[in-house]
Amino acid sequence: MLKLKGVESGYDLLQVLWDVELEVDEGEFVAILGPNGAGKTTTLRTIAGYVRALKGSIEFNGKSIVGLEPHRVSRLGIGYVSESSNLFAGMSIHENLLVGAYTVKNKQLIASQVDLVFELFPRLHERRNQLAGTLSGGERKMLAIARGLMPSPSLLLVDEPSLGLAPIPTLAAFEALKQLSQRGTTILLVEQNVNTTLHLVDRAYVLEQGKVVLEGTGPQLLSNKDVQEAYLGI
Amino acid sequence: MTTATATNLKQVPLLRRYLNLTSAILVVAAAAMIVVSIQNPSLLVNTLATGGMWALMAGGLALVFGVMNIPSFVHGDLFMVGTLVALFVFTPIQSMIQDAPNDFVLKWLGPFAGMILAFILGAVIGVLMELLLFRQLRRRSREQWVMNTFLLTAGLSIMFENVAMMAFGNLPQGISRYWDVPPIDVLGVPVAMDRLVTFIVAMGTLAVFALFLQRSRTGRAMRAVSMDETGAQMAGIGLTRIYQLTLALSCGLAALAGAVLIWLTPFTPTVGASPLLIAWYVVILAGLGNVQGAVVGAFLVAMVQQLTGYYLALNWVDVLPTGIIILVLLFKPSGLFGSEVKGVWEQ
Ligand SMILES: Nc1ncnc2c1ncn2[C@@H]1O[C@H](COP(=O)(O)OP(=O)(O)OP(=O)(O)O)[C@@H](O)[C@H]1O
Ligand SMILES: [Mg+2]
Repeated sequence: MLKLKGVESGYDLLQVLWDVELEVDEGEFVAILGPNGAGKTTTLRTIAGYVRALKGSIEFNGKSIVGLEPHRVSRLGIGYVSESSNLFAGMSIHENLLVGAYTVKNKQLIASQVDLVFELFPRLHERRNQLAGTLSGGERKMLAIARGLMPSPSLLLVDEPSLGLAPIPTLAAFEALKQLSQRGTTILLVEQNVNTTLHLVDRAYVLEQGKVVLEGTGPQLLSNKDVQEAYLGI
Repeated sequence: MTTATATNLKQVPLLRRYLNLTSAILVVAAAAMIVVSIQNPSLLVNTLATGGMWALMAGGLALVFGVMNIPSFVHGDLFMVGTLVALFVFTPIQSMIQDAPNDFVLKWLGPFAGMILAFILGAVIGVLMELLLFRQLRRRSREQWVMNTFLLTAGLSIMFENVAMMAFGNLPQGISRYWDVPPIDVLGVPVAMDRLVTFIVAMGTLAVFALFLQRSRTGRAMRAVSMDETGAQMAGIGLTRIYQLTLALSCGLAALAGAVLIWLTPFTPTVGASPLLIAWYVVILAGLGNVQGAVVGAFLVAMVQQLTGYYLALNWVDVLPTGIIILVLLFKPSGLFGSEVKGVWEQ
């Protein structure tokens, strides 16, 4: 479904990604792990079109998406939930969801999609008229994921849903992603919570200094010596 | 947790929650207006008519600043273009009306033709400005954006005014009235038809404008862009189209205001200077980029102007609003309706 080949990308004066190879198949739940500054966020931003790939190819369902504007990538069915959420602070939860469904023309479909995400996040339903700017950190993450789900993307890119969350909301966020994956959404997740993530996902890539240094299934990586030493503290 | 927040809210005394500078000023203004309108109803009529037009100007200015971060100084020249369109469209219609005084459709609806065309031409100019100037600038650099766009619009304004002067001269050209009918009786007060229509057009346009921003899919997208461009793009909203629409709408509204008000302010190349200043007073008073506040602020400023003009002297009408703005900014630097939440239609 998603295929990155030899992707190099970065910012004005700094190349961050070097020859990144990455693949996500339909229905898979895949994670990108790695230390701070490894380029995980940059990878997602490059796929979503916010950072332009300097080299290499990015294919989605067999078609190149390199150089597309971010909103075009979104319209192809690639949802992106960023690290900082990028919510509309002055709008209510409900309105944030409505904007999330901007590309959906059918009113009934929007309503049923709203019901679906409220079912996934009952807490958002309780507070549907509260302004997004006044939500707690955990509620913001939930809303960011919920908004990303509104157009029913076939691939969802999620950047650190656990960032800044206490253990219990973190589990809730992971639980929601698991449910989504079971319902058939393909997910590419960036995480720091290595242990929990490896128990959750089908496959994972380890990114270090802009290069993929390891890849494998959850159990494979959990039993890998390097991963145990560097990330699990065993 | 939910109950805790709920009780906390209740414990804030009602009085203190609503007793702030903004509501105090609004209450004083409303009271002043009531007293004045009993004494002199025509002041009320003038406040509502001109206030409505300043609201169209200031609303558009606030929209462009809120969505695109452009402090526009070319807004007044769209007002000028509006007066020109009205002049050139209405003059032939006027002679047609004189030739056929019994054609009631022409007599009553004819004047609207110029207003509608002014809106359309204003919108087209807005789209062209986005396409030829702001998009090109954005593509090259977003650094110092506010300063650069300020200079760009200020320069553009000088161009507009000089071209208008070359083409149409320096002398005022206007019409004495759109509707050649006796004043209409509104609640016992005779009101000139033009004044009444000015008020009705303002209210109608503002209502549609508000509804559009609040309820429509595109209006919502505009507000989304004003709050978080990245978030809007994530939702599949194309920024370029929203920018184009924003400029079209705001320039269209300014030109409409010019066309509607030509009976009061005849065309000269610099007829837009004063509406531009007033719109800026209003936008600064209300809080930059807040359309809702700008609409309310426009009526406040119009009221202060009318009162000053009537009780003090006409050449004081710009002094008092500026004085009030200085005072407001001293005590509430974010403006009357300003808050930390950035958005074009949020309090
Ligand atoms: N806008 C930017 N301009 C310049 N450099 C940037 C920019 N954003 C990120 N970088 C740099 O790119 C590198 C990779 O950043 P990135 O955000 O992709 O890391 P990450 O793996 O997501 O890290 P973290 O786990 O801390 O979120 C870092 O060295 C960072 O400083
Ligand atoms: Mg990151």
